[in-house]
Amino acid sequence: MNEDIKNEQSDLLVEDLIEEVSIDGMCGVY
Amino acid sequence: MHEQMLDEPWGVSPSVAFRPEPFGALAYHFGNRKLTFLKRPEMVRLVQHLAETDTVRSALQDIGIPAESHNAYVGALRGLATIDIIRPRGEVSE
Repeated sequence: MNEDIKNEQSDLLVEDLIEEVSIDGMCGVY
Repeated sequence: MHEQMLDEPWGVSPSVAFRPEPFGALAYHFGNRKLTFLKRPEMVRLVQHLAETDTVRSALQDIGIPAESHNAYVGALRGLATIDIIRPRGEVSE
């Protein structure tokens, strides 16, 4: 409940920092 | 969980190449063929700086990431670790 690990966090999200893409979906390219 | 990573030495996997982009960089892993966008220049600097520091925590501080953003950056590093973009330092040179 009272964990300060929680958030006085910025609005920054993991999704703002990294995004994964699998190139296996890009068939036939190679 | 995140806390543990903060005090560990990490580095970039030898199977990964980076390509600089205006938004940050593309990281490509030659083994699992994962392509990952590092969407901020600070994220790129952090990842590349990991190998030069003893802990993730000191890398965050060196790059100047504000403390209130550490959770997000460590979460992103954990995401990169799950696809082997980064590794615990002992495993990097293998």
